[in-house]
Amino acid sequence: MIPNKYVSEYQQRRNKKNISIIFVVILLIISMLIISMNTGYIRLSPKELFETFFGMGTERQSLILFEFRLPRIVLSILVGMALAVSGCILQGISRNALADPGILGINAGAGLGVVLFISFFPSTTETPVFLLPFIAFLGSGITAVLIYLLSYKKGEGISPVRLLLTGIAIAAGISAAMIVLTLKLDSETYQFVAVWLAGSIWGSNWKFVLSLLPWILILIPFVIAKARVINTLNLGDVRATGLGLAVEKERILLLGAAVALAGAGVSVSGGIGFVGLVAPHMARQLVGARHQFVILASAMMGGLLLLVADTIGRVILQPSEIPAGIVVAIIGAPYFLYLLVKSKA
Amino acid sequence: MSNLFVKDIVVSYSGLPIIDRLNISIPDHKITTIIGPNGCGKSTLLKTIARILKTDRGAVFLDGKAIQQLSTKKVAKRMAILPQSSEVPPGLTIFELVSYGRFPHQRGLGTLKLEDLKQIDWAIQVTGLSELKDRPVVALSGGQRQRVWIAMALAQDTDILILDEPTTYLDLAHQLDILLLLEKLNKEEERTIIMVLHDLNLASRFSHNMIAMKEGSIVAEGPPSKVMTSSTIQKVFDIDANLTICPFSTNPILHSYQLSGCTQDLLENANEG
Repeated sequence: MIPNKYVSEYQQRRNKKNISIIFVVILLIISMLIISMNTGYIRLSPKELFETFFGMGTERQSLILFEFRLPRIVLSILVGMALAVSGCILQGISRNALADPGILGINAGAGLGVVLFISFFPSTTETPVFLLPFIAFLGSGITAVLIYLLSYKKGEGISPVRLLLTGIAIAAGISAAMIVLTLKLDSETYQFVAVWLAGSIWGSNWKFVLSLLPWILILIPFVIAKARVINTLNLGDVRATGLGLAVEKERILLLGAAVALAGAGVSVSGGIGFVGLVAPHMARQLVGARHQFVILASAMMGGLLLLVADTIGRVILQPSEIPAGIVVAIIGAPYFLYLLVKSKA
Repeated sequence: MSNLFVKDIVVSYSGLPIIDRLNISIPDHKITTIIGPNGCGKSTLLKTIARILKTDRGAVFLDGKAIQQLSTKKVAKRMAILPQSSEVPPGLTIFELVSYGRFPHQRGLGTLKLEDLKQIDWAIQVTGLSELKDRPVVALSGGQRQRVWIAMALAQDTDILILDEPTTYLDLAHQLDILLLLEKLNKEEERTIIMVLHDLNLASRFSHNMIAMKEGSIVAEGPPSKVMTSSTIQKVFDIDANLTICPFSTNPILHSYQLSGCTQDLLENANEG
């Protein structure tokens, strides 16, 4: 144990508070998970839910819970985590408060990959689902390289504003390309593209959960291990070099992780924007600027945010649904504008 | 031979050569200040010494090895850099920001060990920030913020400190405050300090060694008594200088100055008036 005289009481309390906050968000996710399980077109009472959960429900009840609701809930949480951590990395390494994989067009690139892939495997039952995140990673990776090259100016590097504008333009371009593509494809693919663009959690079965899970389990701990590196990059390139960081190498590694997380996330959900923007901001408000805390807090906030959005989307217009991406955008878009105005001032 | 010297370097910026074949040796355990007009390449030289900029030719040598060949982490244990102030990420306390200075000494997740904490604590004390260490950095004044950056560099525990215009944007008292702190670190800890300053009088007063640059070359170097002469100042800045002796350091300082060529007219005008 480290003697207290070197760390002030305030600082110790601050560190403990951060850990408690992360636990509180986890508790909120668990309560939301329970609420989400018993809401829907067919309501399950808490008692039925409890019985079904422990294998004592009717066949129909367990079908609804285990085959429809639970995978979708788990998927929302995982996708939310992936997008939030991706945004957290992008904001940290670019020192740009407005960076988000959705706004920067990385999600759109992943989506284009997914749409092309789906058009070759039209029936979701036959789709080799585990391949989806790889295809999406490829799509988002190519897009990220493209955005990087287009916003890079020799001698000046990458300005946050140019990065943002290039990203927005590319995202718009790719979305347009996807619609053009659908004209050439059958109506089923068109349906899929429409749903994807709106940002619905479409891959709601366990196969999709399993295809996304390894990405989360590998990449998020990797990013947490790099927390110190993100902290240092967050001080700017010159200071980071002065502190002994191999700036270019680490930035590319982290950028790769951000692109992979966003790609893998949206490969099984729709093109959901703003989670990567809003969740890290909320996380920073709650736990400060040290990424040892910010990454975990962002992941939890992202999971919670998307779970809440998807649950609201499922129940608000029953029996039809609003895609989670739209619900998130209703909160996220004004927040984005608020940040845009604030960062100009 | 000193530990740190620059040999035959050529440095260019987007194709244009800024420094052409420059040689200089930085004396150990001394305060060295680079002076010169805007665009003379003094910041470029400082950044090259700090390995921020790469050379086209030649190299900076630290302990007999070319600095670009050494691992950046190893260099970070020998020299700390204070660039011109930049934005601080919001949400950091002074203690937290100073703790980032431990980066080159840490591994893995970066949990602060006893040795790290001792160094951070010392850095905060020596810069006079103990009372403020729980405050958010964004709430500090310019002078306090510069102290925090110096504390972070001290937490890095290096024997060389490199500072790019550490007194810019500070008022007179805070400029002195920072330079007195650097002088103390040099005296008590024998740290080698290399910096760029715009204020010639402060440079002369606080330096052991001065380097005067113009158009990418060195015009004069040595102790202030040798560099702060009216002929050198005329060559470097194109000004006619009237020099006197600083009562606090016995080094030469500017009494007043005028653009070269105007002096005669002005003196006549003053006499007539």
